[in-house]
Amino acid sequence: MLAKPLWYHFFADTLVFSFRLIAQRQLSVLPNVLSTSMMNPAGEQARRIAQLTNYFFIAASFVLLVVTVLTVLFLYKFRAKAGDAEPKQIKRNVKVELVMVGVPLAMVVFFFFLTVKTMRAVLPQHHDRAPDVIVTGHQWWWEVQYPLANVTTANEVHLPVGKPVLVELKSADVIHDWWVPELGNKMDMIPDRENFLWITVHEAGYYQGACSEFCGTQHAWMRIQVYADSDTDFNNFITSHQPVAQTPTSPLAQTGERIFNTMTCGDCHRINGTAANGDDAPDLTHFASRRTMLTGMLPNDARHVHQFLANPQAVKSGVHMPNFALDDTSQNALVAYLTQLK
Amino acid sequence: MNRLMMKLFVASEAIFFVSLMVAYVYFWISARFGTEALARLDIVTSGVFTGMLVLSSGTLWMSERSRNRGKRTAALVWLGATLLLGAAFLAGQSHEYYRLLSGGFTIGSDEFGTSFFTLTGFHGLHLLLGLLTLGTLMLLLSKGYLDNDRANVMATAGIYWHFVDAVWVVVFTLIYVFPHIAPHLAPHVVQNITGS
Amino acid sequence: MESLLHVPEPAEPLPSATTRRGLLEWISSVDHKQVGIMYQWVALLFFLAGGALALMMRVQLSVANNRFLSPEVYNQFFTMHGTVMIFFVLMPALIGAGVYLVPLMIGANEMAYPRLNALSMWLTLFGGLLLFFSFLTGGAPDAGWFNYAPLTEEVYTGSGINYYCMGLLIAGIGSVAAGLNFVVTILKMRVPDMSLKRMPLFVWMMLITAFLILGALPSLNAALSMLLLDRLLHAMFFVNTHGSPLLWQHLFWLFGHPEVYILILPAFGIFSEVFPVFSRKPIFGYSFVVASGIAIALLAYGVWMHHMFAAGLGNTVNAFFSASSLLIGVPTGVKIFNWLGTMYGGSIRLRMPMLFAVAFLIEFTIGGLTGIMFAIVPIDWQVTDSYVVVAHLHYVFVGGSLFGVFAGLFYWFPKMSGKMLDEKLGRVFFWLFVIGFNLTFLIQHWLGMIGMPRRVYTYLDFPHYTLFNMISTVGAFLMAASVFVLLWNIFKSIRSGEVAPPDPWDANTLEWYTDSPPSLKNFERVPPVTSDRPLYDFKHSHQPDDAT
Repeated sequence: MLAKPLWYHFFADTLVFSFRLIAQRQLSVLPNVLSTSMMNPAGEQARRIAQLTNYFFIAASFVLLVVTVLTVLFLYKFRAKAGDAEPKQIKRNVKVELVMVGVPLAMVVFFFFLTVKTMRAVLPQHHDRAPDVIVTGHQWWWEVQYPLANVTTANEVHLPVGKPVLVELKSADVIHDWWVPELGNKMDMIPDRENFLWITVHEAGYYQGACSEFCGTQHAWMRIQVYADSDTDFNNFITSHQPVAQTPTSPLAQTGERIFNTMTCGDCHRINGTAANGDDAPDLTHFASRRTMLTGMLPNDARHVHQFLANPQAVKSGVHMPNFALDDTSQNALVAYLTQLK
Repeated sequence: MNRLMMKLFVASEAIFFVSLMVAYVYFWISARFGTEALARLDIVTSGVFTGMLVLSSGTLWMSERSRNRGKRTAALVWLGATLLLGAAFLAGQSHEYYRLLSGGFTIGSDEFGTSFFTLTGFHGLHLLLGLLTLGTLMLLLSKGYLDNDRANVMATAGIYWHFVDAVWVVVFTLIYVFPHIAPHLAPHVVQNITGS
Repeated sequence: MESLLHVPEPAEPLPSATTRRGLLEWISSVDHKQVGIMYQWVALLFFLAGGALALMMRVQLSVANNRFLSPEVYNQFFTMHGTVMIFFVLMPALIGAGVYLVPLMIGANEMAYPRLNALSMWLTLFGGLLLFFSFLTGGAPDAGWFNYAPLTEEVYTGSGINYYCMGLLIAGIGSVAAGLNFVVTILKMRVPDMSLKRMPLFVWMMLITAFLILGALPSLNAALSMLLLDRLLHAMFFVNTHGSPLLWQHLFWLFGHPEVYILILPAFGIFSEVFPVFSRKPIFGYSFVVASGIAIALLAYGVWMHHMFAAGLGNTVNAFFSASSLLIGVPTGVKIFNWLGTMYGGSIRLRMPMLFAVAFLIEFTIGGLTGIMFAIVPIDWQVTDSYVVVAHLHYVFVGGSLFGVFAGLFYWFPKMSGKMLDEKLGRVFFWLFVIGFNLTFLIQHWLGMIGMPRRVYTYLDFPHYTLFNMISTVGAFLMAASVFVLLWNIFKSIRSGEVAPPDPWDANTLEWYTDSPPSLKNFERVPPVTSDRPLYDFKHSHQPDDAT
């Protein structure tokens, strides 16, 4: 029996060894560089996909290495030299051709099986289970509902850690897409259609993502903010969002509330417990509890609320909110009102 | 060579019509417009005009046959009949359109309007181009250019006309006939793939 | 060889390649060689425009939170860049190469329909001009090159979308006409000895591409017509509530996926001519290359939903299209080994065409592997619509199709113009472009994996985002600089380049039997065709001391 040549051992054994290490989760090919990386999984779905990606990366690197080595080798070994005789005019070699087809075919078949297996693990059927969270994409903000708790909010998504959460994804206007790389797969939000995702977060924390289907002018600023909370924190979040809006106590804030309702803000925005009941813009009932505004564009504080109210188009051009050309007094009152809506 | 070209062109246009028909069937299922189609459309009148169009393929075939036998006048007569029948069909379609439009039913009325006017409209457009082609053929034939038709101009144009005819037979069956048989196609069939 | 072709006899003599040419004679020309050259000028014009758009995009993206371009402008630019490069650069360049070369390679004196040929070219040009005209009428289309509904309905976007539809419909008619012309020419006008099995591989690839065009463009035409009806006549195909956005996606990708094979197969054909000539060996596995081309064409219509894996169509549908997409990777990728096999045991001359061919091997392997990555559904679920897609598509479109155009340019320029392109300038161009290209796009794989979505006019100052984007922008400037070198090379060589003999590369196919450039009537006589390398056989049968 012929001994296998050295290069065979080098390639094949390394390949098999790497695959085994990946399976035992002792090796990740791509470094966990930083947050928002799909290779820095914080959820079960992302973990499964990262593992599959590692396998793929090994196989792909192998193929690329072979092609590159052969190319460079042939270029050198078979370069034309002065006085070269005409090379042997080989037209085909059936054995080589069969290997050429067979090996890639075997590789794709292998990856097809891994594909189906991982698909089923990451996105199993949800049957008739009611969703835990419903996220509806709008141009260019997120409506977030917790139907079982009767909570509606906007832009900041809270999820409980350690359990599979069923997220329903919808759209109010054009196609959007939910993508938080550390938490797993993305899913389109298509108008007149309900799509679903499972998210099982392993570690509590703050995760960022982005809308991933071009949806118009401010697609770039339709960022996703996810807070994965421990049970206590999640319950706090829910219970703090269930009541109606806080009644303003300071006179300035009370003026702000009056202005809010007389200047048609309530036609687009909803503030529970008041006359404001619009559905076309973010729910502001607990606006001040959110850490950012405009889907992650600006920190949520008085200064930035002022900045936006003064000229919405200058901050996020194309946004559907008109410029009300408020005078300073009105603006101060509104800011006072909004910043106390915890 | 020219016949090959026309067959390829016709195959390509067939795919175009299939795309329009797929959209039609999709909306039929999702918007359940089978009964509306039954209510709005006049299968009898359209059926008569369909018959004329089918007949026009026959007259065109006769025309080609006459030309092959060197009988230029007969060929012209049959060709003229084809043109008249085709024009009559177009007139019938226009009347159908007029009736629907003046009743306030347009391409933007609902999903049925969208699908109906698009599918029949593109067919009508292809038919109109066919009539222009037939007219041109008559002109060439009358001046003697096609006495010696080594380039198979008549056969080539014939393939196009028969295609337009065949498309109409399929479209007519789909739009006019099927609602009488099965107004509501199974809703689950294409639901998942086309999305709602 | 006597010509049986019915070339239209004009009242004035047709412009001849050896007399002085005026502009009017070019504009009215129906000679396939002139039409082919004009296709290349069209491609070059739009290449410069599309490239300028890309450069400005890269400047905007060079740092986080940049304000060089507003989102409104940026969104028009990225839409136009993609649309222009695909429809008005790669298609005309490759179809134009086919128009020039196919008759010459099959021993014919014209395409089957010379006037239709010229019409195709002019329709392409005018479609592109109409598309650019939108900048002057309220804004260019700004919904991306695949123009998803319902964003493209009038309630969400402006008149630019109408120009997108009309420009592409016009150009699409030109493409279908070209497809018809190619099939008829190739099937009916070959020299009698040239059976299908003796056709040059470039001709095979153009034949397959032509069939792909005929089958794919109708879906696009249907979709564009439906969208125009929605926008102009208030039809309901893709609107909210009544229409179906997914219908647009299906129709578009039924066109869109075969389209990418339309763009790569001619390049494969060009490389299949270049590798044998510059290795002094026949192509390794001729039948195999043909068979895999046919396999690709058939499979091409069965993979389109891999663009929709994240649309929530269900795991059964996803699994089917994953399988078909993985499968199509095999005939596509395995050709790499055919070309490597051609190099093996050869005597390789690393002239300009071969330089691009060799670079292509590696670049296209990278692009093809990331394509396989997208076929693996769960990985696609992470990386689709991110910069990984941008990286992938540029590796295949630029590293594959565009390198094919460049290789073809350096290879056939002597034939088309009668002058050699400057080799030294060529190498400067090559290295500048290749280094720039890899700088720009290699890092984008990583950028996508760390979460940057595509089609964004700016991004947050996350760690590494600015660095990676800046590197990408530097590469873009290198590419831009290289293009100036290329333009200078072309200009200088036409003016005062080294005169080219009929067969400067010692090549294998019939076009090299003619003068450089060929006379108006390509061939009076043609060597006998007994294999897929007729000129090679002819030269070897005439060698006095031929040892074989």
